[in-house]
Amino acid sequence: MFVSPLYDLEEKIGANFGEFAGWQMPMSFSGYIEEHMAVRTGVAYFNLSHMGRLRIKGNLKELETLIAKEISSAKSGEMIGPTAFLNDKGGFLDDVMAYKISSDECLIVTNAVNREKIIKWIISNSSLDVEDLTFKYIMIAIQGRKIEDILGKIELKPLEFKINTKFLNYDVFLVSRSGWTGENGLEIWATVEIGKQLVSDLLKLGIKPAGLIARDSLRQEMGFVLYGEDINENTTPIEARYWVFSLNKDFIGKDAIIEQLKNGISKIRIGFKMKKGERIIPRHSSKIFSVGNEVGYVTSSIYSPYLNRVIGMGYINPKYFFLGYNLSVDIRGKHYDIKIDEFPFI
Amino acid sequence: MSEIKVGKYIVLTDRLYTETDEWVKIEGDIAIVGITDYAQKKLRDIVGIELPQIQKEVKAGEPVGVVESVKAAADIFSPLSGIIIEVNQALVEHPETINKDPYGNGWIFKLKITDPNEKEKLLSPEKYIDKIKGG
Repeated sequence: MFVSPLYDLEEKIGANFGEFAGWQMPMSFSGYIEEHMAVRTGVAYFNLSHMGRLRIKGNLKELETLIAKEISSAKSGEMIGPTAFLNDKGGFLDDVMAYKISSDECLIVTNAVNREKIIKWIISNSSLDVEDLTFKYIMIAIQGRKIEDILGKIELKPLEFKINTKFLNYDVFLVSRSGWTGENGLEIWATVEIGKQLVSDLLKLGIKPAGLIARDSLRQEMGFVLYGEDINENTTPIEARYWVFSLNKDFIGKDAIIEQLKNGISKIRIGFKMKKGERIIPRHSSKIFSVGNEVGYVTSSIYSPYLNRVIGMGYINPKYFFLGYNLSVDIRGKHYDIKIDEFPFI
Repeated sequence: MSEIKVGKYIVLTDRLYTETDEWVKIEGDIAIVGITDYAQKKLRDIVGIELPQIQKEVKAGEPVGVVESVKAAADIFSPLSGIIIEVNQALVEHPETINKDPYGNGWIFKLKITDPNEKEKLLSPEKYIDKIKGG
């Protein structure tokens, strides 16, 4: 099991640790509801040091055929993402963020669970040079509606990034204006030593620590997917309604996507809300019904602290995809109404 | 009442415990029941509860309700046989009270005990400490 370099520091400030994708990571500190609301109404930081971070060097035209969005047309200093590596059936090998440094250099952030798979995939399908930076730098996200009240005006535009730059007077490897919470925010990569000092400073500034459960509830409110829960190698971007590709170029999986766009799909991702006051949570794989007929399954669900109700997502037969329509979900043998709703939920 | 700390978990000495992590405080022929500090910490944030049915006659070890947490749904088992006489309705609106105060305001239900001999089968605080140390 991998342990984040911030473990000791986070243990001291009350982290409740749990296993995530082979890493011992802080799941929560004061409780995910408080941490979630800190992002929606203030600022919090997340330790994301478990996420895979790769530096790709070489002719990026080779990467272009492996990744679903256009790299060559992007400007240096811009993030291309989210995008994805797909298999030849159009299924997600991983959904990733890509950062274009120059015409022959790019950074990629993978899901922790897919890091090794993606390294192998790139190496076996190209002559690109792949350097794994995951253990060289920590990664944190600072996210929240009031980030500029605490850290001052952010000069970067959304999805812009800088490398080898300064942040709070520290030399850091990367600062990007990005995140996975739907709020204003930054993501930072820094050496372990600087990372520890940086986190201590953030805490002193009153920025709350937040764990992976709050990250999960925040992304669900936005309708963002989580690899392994909502997408996998048997789910395509069309089925997931996850627009991570460009049809203006060739890439592995494109034919399968075009085939689905021509002939239709057999499952589609939906968002749903449960009734207000219903504090019952469907779990991954809970079955979804339409007037007694099984039509799909749940992939993620959580109590939304912002909406004060249970929300979720799953896949159903597209024939039953009517916005606002009530389906039901089976939880421990009882059926509860769920209403199909559009993303984001808030 | 005194409390014993076992790592990051608290065990109170004025009550008895179950193998399934409920606590029981017995006052005459009434048992007050909740889940332990260990249980709530293992479950993490509690976001919902299905309370037991009032007036229902239950047997020791029978599932009577459900605690919904971000991690899992966990059954609440009745530690003793008896009749459910009261439930903590405030938890429906504020299930997180179980996280904040598992032994106090986070109590879940009260039971009128029908077989006092079953108390012998419950775990003493010392035995419960041994159990959570092991797990």
